[in-house]
Amino acid sequence: MTQEILPPLSASVHVKPASWRFGLRLWVPLFLLWLLLIPLLILALPLLFIASLVFRFSLWRSLRAANGVLAATRGSQVEVDNRNTRVFIKLH
Amino acid sequence: MNDNRRQILDMLAQGKINSDEAERLITALERSDVPAARDTSNVKYLRVLVDANDEQEGPTKVNVRVPMQLLRAGVRLTGFIPDRAREQVNEALRKEGISFDINKLTPDNLEEMIEHLRDLSVDVDNERAKVRVFCE
Repeated sequence: MTQEILPPLSASVHVKPASWRFGLRLWVPLFLLWLLLIPLLILALPLLFIASLVFRFSLWRSLRAANGVLAATRGSQVEVDNRNTRVFIKLH
Repeated sequence: MNDNRRQILDMLAQGKINSDEAERLITALERSDVPAARDTSNVKYLRVLVDANDEQEGPTKVNVRVPMQLLRAGVRLTGFIPDRAREQVNEALRKEGISFDINKLTPDNLEEMIEHLRDLSVDVDNERAKVRVFCE
């Protein structure tokens, strides 16, 4: 069983409302979002550490679990198609 | 008793092998009898397909693919639920008539469940919607 360790690095988003002639195809670089969030996480680490001592939870385990959930979303796909709109989202 | 084991015992009785050799052979035989570990790695996604026909919205198709890893990660998160909260969840479930103990929800049990999900296919078909849930 292989386990993903990296969160989704990009997302494909296709949107095509029925009124539009052509649909919108977007490639969303999610890795940029993670790069922006890393400094925020580093800044929040002391607060998280204090919270872990007060509420008695393992900070390392919590961060690993949160990363595990994020990483597990890779490969998710949602497609909705009705007469008004067609939406497709896929996490890579 | 299977044929191989009987054959080893016959060889021991006939003096063709000694007791140490028989023991080694039986141990090797038992090792080969152990079924291979359950491989759930080929069950990668839970797929939900909905084909609805709403009077106002018209025909709608929904196709959702959820990675099994997300299910596994979610179960790992249950380890963070405090004991008191677990009891409250169990009690709430009991009140709803669901006899389920979330303490028994462990990654090992989940693998077993995923193993069973491999052959699962749920089809709901009525005049307004068709729903299909399966693993792939």
